[in-house]
Amino acid sequence: MVAQQVETKKPGTAREGPGLSILVGKMKEVIQWAIADPMTYLANWGRLYSLWPVHLETACCSIEFGAVSGSRYDCERFGILEAFGSLRQCDLIVVHGTVTRKMAPRLRWIYDQMPEPKWVIAMGACSITGGVYFDSYNVLPGVDQVVPVDVYVPGCPPRPEELIDAFVMLQDKIRKSNIR
Amino acid sequence: MPVGATGISTQQVEEDKLVVSIGPQHPGAGHFRFTITVEGDMIVDVLPDPGYVHRGAEKQTEYRNYTQSIPLLERSSLTDVTNIIGPYSLAAEELMGIEIPPRAQYLRMIMSENQRIISHLYWLGIQAIFLGHSTMFMWPLGDRDLLIDLGEMIGGARITYSYWIPGGVRNDIPGNFKERALKTYDYFEKRLVDYERIFFENPLFLKRTQGVGVLKREEAIRFGVVGPVLRASDVKSDTRLDEPYCLYKDVNFEVPVYKECDTWARCMVHLFEMRQSIRIIRQILEKIPSGSVRVKLSPQQRTRPGEAYARVEASRGAMAFHIISDGGTKPYRTKISVPSFRNLIVLKKLLIGSHVADMPAIYWSLDYWPVEADR
Repeated sequence: MVAQQVETKKPGTAREGPGLSILVGKMKEVIQWAIADPMTYLANWGRLYSLWPVHLETACCSIEFGAVSGSRYDCERFGILEAFGSLRQCDLIVVHGTVTRKMAPRLRWIYDQMPEPKWVIAMGACSITGGVYFDSYNVLPGVDQVVPVDVYVPGCPPRPEELIDAFVMLQDKIRKSNIR
Repeated sequence: MPVGATGISTQQVEEDKLVVSIGPQHPGAGHFRFTITVEGDMIVDVLPDPGYVHRGAEKQTEYRNYTQSIPLLERSSLTDVTNIIGPYSLAAEELMGIEIPPRAQYLRMIMSENQRIISHLYWLGIQAIFLGHSTMFMWPLGDRDLLIDLGEMIGGARITYSYWIPGGVRNDIPGNFKERALKTYDYFEKRLVDYERIFFENPLFLKRTQGVGVLKREEAIRFGVVGPVLRASDVKSDTRLDEPYCLYKDVNFEVPVYKECDTWARCMVHLFEMRQSIRIIRQILEKIPSGSVRVKLSPQQRTRPGEAYARVEASRGAMAFHIISDGGTKPYRTKISVPSFRNLIVLKKLLIGSHVADMPAIYWSLDYWPVEADR
């Protein structure tokens, strides 16, 4: 059995030859260069300028999210429009502050129901470490115990400019990402 | 419907009825969930499920001294930060037995009335967008930022000022405040006329709110609702008038009362109150005396053992704190009575028997803010 295997392998390498294998390797590069890279770029370009946050208000930071959607800060300039529809069309969760023990399972369900690819922004001190509610009996010490977080925005509550900065950082991250 | 820790529940539903769960992921019912049973287009049953933002603020005040609790408590209602910590400061001052200088009293009133307008504008934006009026979402949220700038000028932060503290206010107003405030309010009063023309006299708004969600005078008193909901139900009740705190007895203002008792009346109360708040601030800016703005307290100020209860008129209604002290530097027990939770009780009464399409109008006319209600 062992001898047979060796015999079958040897003719195969001999038939391809060194020149053919180099060409196959180059074909991969050519395909990568000509098709895969532009397609990834195009897909990322489409994703990063049409981020749709889920309308899940977990706590008081939603006031500042309302201000960001309002006319002075207007995050629609960056392609971010709060989705007044189904979460199955959304690809971004902005966790608005404190997540309590009652809200945490809902947050995870909503995250699980969203289609890939999806991103999470943890907004406010409460969603990072618990904030001023660090010693409360009903508050999670950080939302990253429940969902994976891409961008953290500190502040209690963060100013709208900081949230817009977080959106731009997330867009940079998407631009460099390699999700097919 | 029994809702367990996982939130999964089962129930027998009759034929030709449909149970719809609304929230917490829903544009209208942020941090709040309610289940409605519909028969055709009519709502036959409503089950509110609050408590998604219960953070235990009452318990946490027992670990902190009186001044440290202020930033914690104002997070309960970021739309209404100045009024929500008002009664706490008043009750703590009563326990400490200190008198507040008149300039600090007037500054508290300025901040409180400014905050009332900010809160009402946020309500107006949300109410309008759920009636399908996008312009009225963008305008109030843009103008709200001008008033927030005024607050930022006094308090330093954007929306969390921590301005009312036991012993007075955090700091004095800057020198050019009066000039800039008058300029802003002049502009804002012109905008209110525009709001009235574009939104409050809009036939669509009238069609969707008049005669919808009627809460009669007797029912409003029996359910114990407070604030704009009570005033829209033909009851002249305002804590600023009934039991004046600060120096509200020195200023003139009117309290709106509407006989219609419907959603339209609840919206008009907010518009009326914004004008009255500007009127109060104008009077205060004319007659504010000079002097100190804060009584010096020791870092660990002790109180007398006993109880204190204080109430102010927050933008959503009467807001009260009951503090029990054992003579230490921290409260023994704090009870918060919030207007949102007291207005929630009529949600079931108003929604049963109404159309599904009227639900957003009725729900937001109560100005229910779940973060404040759950504390």
